Amino acid sequence: MKRLFLVLLLAALATAGFSSPVAEVLHMYTAFDTEEAQYYIEAFEAETGIKVEWVRMSSGEVLARVEAEASNPQASVWHAGSNTSHINAASKGLLAPYRPNTDFQLQPQLHADDWAWTGFYTGAIGFISNKDFLSKKGAKAPTSWTDLLNPAFAKNVALAYPYTSGTAYTTYATLVQMLGEKETLDWWAKFDQQSVFQYTKSGTGCIPMVGLGEVGVGIAFSHDIVAKGINAGYPVVMTFPKEGTGYEVGGLSLIKGGPEPELGKQFIDWCYTVKAQNLFQKYSRLPVNPKATVAPGAVTMDQVKLIDYDAIWAGENKDRLIEAWRDRIGK
Amino acid sequence: MNVSTRRTREIIASMRIIWKEPLLLVAILAIFYFLILFVAFPIFQVFRYSLVVDKQFDPSNYVAVFSARYYYQPFLNSILLGTITATTGSIMGFGFAYALTRTALPLKGFFRQTITFPIISPPFVVALSAILLFGRAGSLAPILQRIIGEYSIYGLGGLVFVETIAYGPTAFLVLYGVLQAIDPALEEASMDLGASRARVFTTVTLPLAVPGIASAWLLVFIQSMADFGNPMIISGDFRVLSVQAFLQITGMYDLSRGATLAVLLFIPTTVAFFLQKYWVSRKSYVTVTGKPTAATIKRLEWYIKVPVYTLCIVFTAMVFLLYGTIIYGSFQKLWGVDRTLTLNNYVQMFRVGKDYIIDSLSLSTLATPLTGLLGMFIAFLVVRKRFIGRGVMEFTSMLTFAVPGTVVGIGYILAFNQRSALFPFILTGTGWIIVLLLIFRNMPVGIRSGIAALQQIDPAIEEASTDLGADSSTTFRRVTLPMIAPAFFSGLAFGFVKAMTAISAVIFVVSGKWNLITVAILGFVDNSQYAPAAAMSLLLIVIVMISLGIIQLVVNRIGQGVRTTTIIG
Repeated sequence: MKRLFLVLLLAALATAGFSSPVAEVLHMYTAFDTEEAQYYIEAFEAETGIKVEWVRMSSGEVLARVEAEASNPQASVWHAGSNTSHINAASKGLLAPYRPNTDFQLQPQLHADDWAWTGFYTGAIGFISNKDFLSKKGAKAPTSWTDLLNPAFAKNVALAYPYTSGTAYTTYATLVQMLGEKETLDWWAKFDQQSVFQYTKSGTGCIPMVGLGEVGVGIAFSHDIVAKGINAGYPVVMTFPKEGTGYEVGGLSLIKGGPEPELGKQFIDWCYTVKAQNLFQKYSRLPVNPKATVAPGAVTMDQVKLIDYDAIWAGENKDRLIEAWRDRIGK
Repeated sequence: MNVSTRRTREIIASMRIIWKEPLLLVAILAIFYFLILFVAFPIFQVFRYSLVVDKQFDPSNYVAVFSARYYYQPFLNSILLGTITATTGSIMGFGFAYALTRTALPLKGFFRQTITFPIISPPFVVALSAILLFGRAGSLAPILQRIIGEYSIYGLGGLVFVETIAYGPTAFLVLYGVLQAIDPALEEASMDLGASRARVFTTVTLPLAVPGIASAWLLVFIQSMADFGNPMIISGDFRVLSVQAFLQITGMYDLSRGATLAVLLFIPTTVAFFLQKYWVSRKSYVTVTGKPTAATIKRLEWYIKVPVYTLCIVFTAMVFLLYGTIIYGSFQKLWGVDRTLTLNNYVQMFRVGKDYIIDSLSLSTLATPLTGLLGMFIAFLVVRKRFIGRGVMEFTSMLTFAVPGTVVGIGYILAFNQRSALFPFILTGTGWIIVLLLIFRNMPVGIRSGIAALQQIDPAIEEASTDLGADSSTTFRRVTLPMIAPAFFSGLAFGFVKAMTAISAVIFVVSGKWNLITVAILGFVDNSQYAPAAAMSLLLIVIVMISLGIIQLVVNRIGQGVRTTTIIG
């Protein structure tokens, strides 16, 4: 027994000093995937000499975490993730408004009215199809929303749950803004019955499924389709709905009460510099700084028919729309 | 004298004994404090979130959950899945344990090593591999289709398959320990009296193993209910409760409704827990008598040999196939498409994951011995000591196992990101919160194996020690501990494995300063970079294998020591 306590004591001593925080370090949550986040963050560290300690989570997880930590925030910046989630967080009072110093004018749809969040990249919703699947079925890649009901795609479409993924929610909100709520749900019920094989958790989950031929068609953001589908080497092709499509704005925000607000502001400012925005080429995201270079193969906003997507309306009506979707689809 | 007054007297008498041993009393009180703080309090917070809306008691979350099909259907699905998987897993585990302890199966070490594989890998790896092999475009799909016709790996069938492979080995570990502890002399005696092998099996071996089978079934049932890595990947339209609770929290940021779904997981788990306790308590399993242990019986009839050997070979081949796919995949340029072999995935893994690997190793190494000691000590108290609140202690210490990891994680954030009357420190963002979560989340494994081992040992052996004048701590250290050492170390090994491969709970308490390898793997999987994910999973498996090897060596040495001492009696 004495030995037991001794072991416990030693272990406790061994870990002392374990929790002491280090000064001049920026703590941050990022919704980019690990590798991509590291790519940007290392560039920031190299340029400014500021050390960043970061955790990668989906935007839903970041929001849950920021909300749970509201009385004692552990991070200063929320990096990336669809602005829908940032808008949701802003409506819960979890963000500290900050207007970044930029060398260009940020368009009104790229920031909150009170600057609680700002957008730093964009991307449109598109379709991804497996070439082998298409030739086997003798079908053309879908070029409209109604094409998704094509019998050739029966039980061969994958996308994320609208309630877990910003991508799928943007898809849903796009349709609601185009068709109306009731019509969208009628369409989706049919779509769910006929075409959907499986819903995934993350918005990019369908890309490798299509790439590997698990399903024929997926719905995702164009930059993800390019970076994780086409550039990754999968036999896939990207198309867009001719009726129009919605788009995402990648959000950036300062967490209210975060430990290092000044470092956080410095990071946010850096994200809008031409140098930082040029880094998006590697992942085919569309930069918001007009002086930045767009990646070859990436689809710019003028090449696709976009609807006048109202992200703020989508963010504010999310809970209601999601409940309606789940009630109707039952998933 | 009626029963209740006798019971009261017994309790008073036992309290008097404890009173004479202040150290034991202090230990019991300390353990209660820890259990309340690190097990009950976070769960209490989760309950509070499910029941309190705007600072008022409000059952509206429960009303909503029971009135919407998309909430209650997953509940029914989970119970179905848990029941089937627990059964298939226990059968598989028992078959293996029987083959390894009672038959002349060749290459036992090889078989044993092979089926510990699924336990030591992050669980979702099995599901990933299953999709790559048997999915719609899987490499073995055309062959399988020709044999069994149209099928889908996504759904209940695929889940049972994957979870049996992932969690059946847990049943094996428990049952292997149990069958090892059953003295073969009893079976030999039965045979000498003319019983056939089948009769020996049904009237001697099986009844003696019943408590173990119940434990195994329970463990697999709970694991299956709480698993979300596999269902997330392979459940298709068969939605289970753990995933829905997770999605509710991480996808919809809905803490209160997610907590409500998690509370629903308590119901079947609690029922299973009490059922098992009631059943087990009616059986006698004392077989370590201090009498000499004879050699194991190796003679076998074909009707035992054939099915048992077939089970072992098929399952082992399956494990090889599944993990071979992962190994092969980790060297492929683009998993499933470009089969060019490359080392890039490993380069990428080390570049991105170095810090994660170091953190995982150091935090798990710290948590594991504490998990083992605490678990074994609680098992000892629960089985051998009589004190008020013993049942409460056992139940509380099992709680973290019953709750889905995500909810434990959220509970930890809710409980430790502010000072409370129970605990005046803020833990979020520190390494401590990860270590504590790992300890208290994995402890039930140590307790289970401890209880199973202790129930096999006749208390008379410990009583003898006490009668000869030793106090509780000396008896525990000198008599009990050596006898339960193999179970202790397998609990330890399991604790380390669980710490290294944990994800669902820890993902909420990792921070920029302290992060974990599994979180990095999940990042890769989430981002569909299966090849680097496979490479990192392999690294994790290798680390764990090496540690297990070391622990195995220790167990073998101690195991021999035990055998020598028991023979003397």
